[in-house]
Amino acid sequence: MSDDLKMNNILVVDDSPTMRRMVITSLGSLRRVKSTQAGSGLEAIERLAIEPVDLMVLDLNMPDMHGMEVIGFVRSHQAYRNIPIVVLTTKGEESSRTEALAAGATRYLTKPFDPRQLADVVGSLLQAS
Amino acid sequence: MDKQTPDNRGEFFDQFLDDYYAECDEHLVSIRRSLVTLEDEVDARTVDRTLLDNLFRSFHTLKGISGMVGLGAAEQLAHHLESYLRELREGTGVLSESGFEALVAGVSLLENVINARRNDQPAPSIDEIVQRLQAVSTDSADVEKTAESPTEKSDVTTARRWEVEFTPTVELAERGVNVNTVRSRLQEIGQLIQAKPVVKDAGGIAFEFVIATSADKTTLASFEADGLSFKPAVDEPAPRPKETQPVPTIAPASVVRVDLDRLDELMRIIGELVISRTRLDEQLTELKRSTPPALWRSLQETSLSMSRQLRDLRESVMRVRMVQIGESFERMTFVVRDLARESGKKVIVQFSGGETEIDKFLVERMMDPLMHLVRNAVSHGLETAAEREAQGKRTEGLLSLSATTAGEKIIIKIADDGRGIDRNLVLARANARGLSDGDSHLDDDALLNLLCTPGFSTRDEADRESGRGVGMDVVKKATEELGGRISLATKVGEGTTFSIELPLTLAIAEALIVSVNGQRFAVPQSAVTEVLEVESSSTKVLENNEIIPYRGKVLPLIRLARVFEMNHQRGDNFHVLVIGEETNAVGLAVDRILGQREIVVRAIKDPLAQSRGIAGATELGDQRVVLILDITALRQLATTAKH
Repeated sequence: MSDDLKMNNILVVDDSPTMRRMVITSLGSLRRVKSTQAGSGLEAIERLAIEPVDLMVLDLNMPDMHGMEVIGFVRSHQAYRNIPIVVLTTKGEESSRTEALAAGATRYLTKPFDPRQLADVVGSLLQAS
Repeated sequence: MDKQTPDNRGEFFDQFLDDYYAECDEHLVSIRRSLVTLEDEVDARTVDRTLLDNLFRSFHTLKGISGMVGLGAAEQLAHHLESYLRELREGTGVLSESGFEALVAGVSLLENVINARRNDQPAPSIDEIVQRLQAVSTDSADVEKTAESPTEKSDVTTARRWEVEFTPTVELAERGVNVNTVRSRLQEIGQLIQAKPVVKDAGGIAFEFVIATSADKTTLASFEADGLSFKPAVDEPAPRPKETQPVPTIAPASVVRVDLDRLDELMRIIGELVISRTRLDEQLTELKRSTPPALWRSLQETSLSMSRQLRDLRESVMRVRMVQIGESFERMTFVVRDLARESGKKVIVQFSGGETEIDKFLVERMMDPLMHLVRNAVSHGLETAAEREAQGKRTEGLLSLSATTAGEKIIIKIADDGRGIDRNLVLARANARGLSDGDSHLDDDALLNLLCTPGFSTRDEADRESGRGVGMDVVKKATEELGGRISLATKVGEGTTFSIELPLTLAIAEALIVSVNGQRFAVPQSAVTEVLEVESSSTKVLENNEIIPYRGKVLPLIRLARVFEMNHQRGDNFHVLVIGEETNAVGLAVDRILGQREIVVRAIKDPLAQSRGIAGATELGDQRVVLILDITALRQLATTAKH
């Protein structure tokens, strides 16, 4: 399939609908990108099961299934292990940066986030993959 | 690169402010709900872990989104609340009285900080509360761990454990069956012990739930059509329940949030449609003579079915605007708790009918008045524990909040079992202020009228000055402005009940169109109990009042022509609209009844055009404005005229 025409599907996972809208709007400046959203870890994995996902933007502190568990799940399964994961979590839990990166997060950003920086990071990861 | 660029960012995130406020409201509702439950666990050996988790997550989310919209005070405050909860979760697990107080104070302040931003006011200082939260955090961290791990809820023991597997597919998702709906359905039939994703041998993803339920096999079998399979769980030592109740703040994926303004706009458009259809109706009537009957009938039928469809459309939009009143009750519980604590009283709050739905606009407009009644009940209505004991009452005062619907109305009752209102005291005060005409007997209605007279209560004024809300006069006014009615029942020593009757919806109402002196008026149909045709000769004049015989009694008449100072030539017959019931009934005298219509109510905002006895204006389709009568005000005019 020609890469030129491919739409990249970004899965935005956060339990706050406002935060999801902020993230999706921030990514709106990227070309050939569409987004899907999930409000919990379990929902995120359901999305993975029913549609192809090219990149995840993932909150850590969520009900049902912590973001760290989601990373663990995604990284331990063949079909998903190469999906880039951008962790986007609230500032102040610096210990989780090392943990998240060790578990397999591709990038680690904190909230409050800069919309342009988030778009840059996601854009460059999509280009590389 | 990592540095923030505040200028652009501010603008960018401003577009999410409405979402932000809406989400804050949702979390605050859920926080208050959790705090009310949590209060029972102050000083208990173990605190419900799920409650702590929910609170923690709400504060965490509030911190995150407040930071994004640049509301630093809210971000910090939420951070300290979150930190205290973390201490609680990881530390002793015992919630002290002072800790709980600090939480409550912190939440109130958080709400104020958010509201201040919403109303463009300066944010209150958070320093004192932050210090309090820090102090209680250290306390709880210092105490040695004594708590046992929380035990499972006991009702699980009789239930059987099942392993449930759910495999999501695109088809199921399109039918609305997904991991969230499956989980809620499982939670309805039992206790969810575990939920985790698994990868199947073939590479697909499935979810494994473990539930404890007493539901039988047939119930479980009914789930199978939705991609679920069941088998009895292997008896392994149970992991601690992850979740015992659904997280109330997380809106399911199928729910959208809509700005109330957009719904108002939708209602406005429907209002225009109603007017256009009425116009069509008038034109049809004009066409009748010049149109072949068959064609005219078919036009008429089309117009009628449009009318039905419009009504359906209107009702659907109305339904979208409805919210459950229970949320407001919970907010009140919160206020009651504070007041009771301040005054040293013991209060039990009961509510019923929380699932009753009411227009969002109405409930927002009524929030302050209802809050005032609740405050009054706790501050003045209920006695102290000692006083109650002396009277042989149980020491805890009872405050009950209830909502029921009756036809097109919702009735909200605020009842206490306190000391009741002392009529003599009220009369004495009214006399002292020159507000009473010296009547020695007061029925409940007259008593309420006195209480609602502006300037009656010194306490009300003090409350208002201290920013604590509205007075009884404002309560009454707000209720009536919304087309509602307030009533009172009180008995010394037994308690007081305020009932507020409100229309379920606003804006469009059924009305009778009447004419007086060639001028048309609309009378809300809900106010009219009966329509009479009267011969002019049957009226009598008694003490300056016109009356007619009615059901073996007499009915005082209000002449609209006189109220609005129109020159009136009387015909032989006229019509009377009976307003109110039994002894309170009055008759509204009009020349003719022109018909019954659905009208779109528009408030008259221009003070020069406002007039007593007129509630608003509407259009009937011929593009002429028709005034809508304010029945409550007209009745008052009639009763004051008597004296």
